[in-house]
Amino acid sequence: MFANTLFLASACLTIGGAIAVVYSKNLMHACIYLLASLFGVAGLYTCIGADFLAATQLVVYAGGVVILMLFAIMLTGGTSNKVNRFGLEKIPAMGNKKTFFIASFAAVVSAMIIVKILIPVLKQNPSSALSPNEPTVERLGTLLATDHILAFEISSVLLLGALVGAAVISRPRKEIHD
Amino acid sequence: MISLSSYLFISLVLFLCGIFVMVARKNIIAILLGIELILNASALNFAAYTKFLNNNLEGHIMSLFIIVIAAAEAAVGLGIVIRFFQLRESIHIDDASTLQN
Amino acid sequence: MNSTVVSYFSQSNEFQNVTNWLTQILGFNASSLVAFIIFAVFSLIIVGAMATIGGLGTYAERKISADLQARIGPNRVGPFGILQFLADGVKMILKEDIVTTNADRFTFNLAPVLCLVGVFATLAVVPYSSGFMLADLNVGIFYLVGMASLVGVGVFLGGYASNSKWSMLGGMRGASQIISYEIPATLSIIAIVLLAGGLSMKTLIDGQGGAPQDWYIFHNPFAFMGFFVYFISALAETNRAPFDLPEAESELVSGYHTEYTGMKFGLFALAEYIEVFVVCGVAVALFLGGYKVPFDLGSGQILVEKLGLDGMLAQNIGQFLELGSFFTKTLLLYYVVIWVRWTLPRLRVDQLMTLCWKYLTPIALVNLIGCAVWMYAFNGKSIFALIFHAAGSAGGH
Repeated sequence: MFANTLFLASACLTIGGAIAVVYSKNLMHACIYLLASLFGVAGLYTCIGADFLAATQLVVYAGGVVILMLFAIMLTGGTSNKVNRFGLEKIPAMGNKKTFFIASFAAVVSAMIIVKILIPVLKQNPSSALSPNEPTVERLGTLLATDHILAFEISSVLLLGALVGAAVISRPRKEIHD
Repeated sequence: MISLSSYLFISLVLFLCGIFVMVARKNIIAILLGIELILNASALNFAAYTKFLNNNLEGHIMSLFIIVIAAAEAAVGLGIVIRFFQLRESIHIDDASTLQN
Repeated sequence: MNSTVVSYFSQSNEFQNVTNWLTQILGFNASSLVAFIIFAVFSLIIVGAMATIGGLGTYAERKISADLQARIGPNRVGPFGILQFLADGVKMILKEDIVTTNADRFTFNLAPVLCLVGVFATLAVVPYSSGFMLADLNVGIFYLVGMASLVGVGVFLGGYASNSKWSMLGGMRGASQIISYEIPATLSIIAIVLLAGGLSMKTLIDGQGGAPQDWYIFHNPFAFMGFFVYFISALAETNRAPFDLPEAESELVSGYHTEYTGMKFGLFALAEYIEVFVVCGVAVALFLGGYKVPFDLGSGQILVEKLGLDGMLAQNIGQFLELGSFFTKTLLLYYVVIWVRWTLPRLRVDQLMTLCWKYLTPIALVNLIGCAVWMYAFNGKSIFALIFHAAGSAGGH
């Protein structure tokens, strides 16, 4: 009962947020809808007992990625010029009818491919009874420190590289005087 | 109600919305929003398969790594966007065509 | 539902009686319904109590600042002016609700709500006592960190949507400050998680004892430093002085809530004061022994043995002692926060970032590694345990 309610609310939040990202014409609003959608995904994780994953989702997305996006929008905002450097009229940043048509075509094609892949999967796996949810933190920690230790270390190097790389890339370069 | 098929459906919708946003938008940051949606869809899929197929938490690990990669991608991508804005005063994807032709 | 209030009340006989009675009347098993009702009632109690504490926080702030500056402070409304916050609340509700021209209306209205939601969601896992905790999630402290970062989004959106330069600068400073200081705060939390071996609030507190030498702050030198790192970062995360750059009234009129009037401004202020309480509560739970009472009075065992009280009554008394312990420590820290605000001057922006990235983050990293090495080297014993052990063995010879 309670789990079903949580699941329904999270699913509505996720799908509604994603569709609102598609339809929103304002980048800032799209970012807020994305935040709602990510929170919905965290709720969906909770429904299947992935508690650590849900908390990670909250920490990384709400605290990190969305604020980064908002910062980038603010630092690059304010230029709504309709023409590009060569004086040619360009497509509006949030898309027009043509791009939307192409996008819906792409979405339909990928939907057909995915459904084609998924149908046999769903046929051979009739929904079984749910196993009760258990705490995952300890098992996840053990797995990360034993079986997946190499991937864990590599991801730490990746994060360090991303940190340094982002700082180096976005720093304004000084003119070189010799 | 909580079943594999419903989770797959939700992740399908997320993925399609991500594809749609990626293709339709001409703003680089909006394209990054679409990429976030797609990465979330795949992470959700991994977690759902773990729960409904074998419950051995390998999928959770994959989801964690996907979240890590999403964070790194957002940081570097937005760094590139800000640098690009400093150079071109625009974040329109069609202005980033110097390497074309 | 895995919630501690419900499990505490389900021990009592009245719970069984009420459940049986409702089951007979309604015709289905009512235990989950009763559990839900208990949960809802206690959620309302906590929200109400926290709103009152937030309101009283403004009163305490004025009274303490007046005390520090040799003034009298508010003294007209009620005895000692203690009802001043009610008068302020009524005034705020009656004020005109102004939205600036060209403001982004949707975001403008959403920002205070996001702040408040982020803070109130963290209240679910704050451990008030061993039986009075809304939910004992097994990712408790991690959930708290994640939810508290919503406040940063709210602050940023409030600054952006107001369409005002002051607000914009304040919101930008606020968001960058919050996400920067999250790093040392989280690192020092992780050091304590390492000592306790679990993420749930109950595990974190159960590793400590009632007496000060059993607290994690005195567990080892690194945890001792970690407490101060956490406290400084928490001050900065809640945008309190000396880190109140987002609302620095001498340079930015009042920062991200310059353009907010009436109850929306009230929501921002309420969120700030409640967040200070939550942050102090977390510091108490992690470092200062949480709700533990000395001599194990909290569980009520001693009362049953020495005074011959009824088991449930002794347990209830123990709960009240634990509540008292938690709130005393938390409000003492709250006093320190206010005291710091009216004593220290404000930092500059570059000093703020230098403090975070060049001092606090390396210190927090060293603390984390130091705690890990300590756990490995001394088998998880605290420094007092080692001293007592050494003294005991020396005396034995």
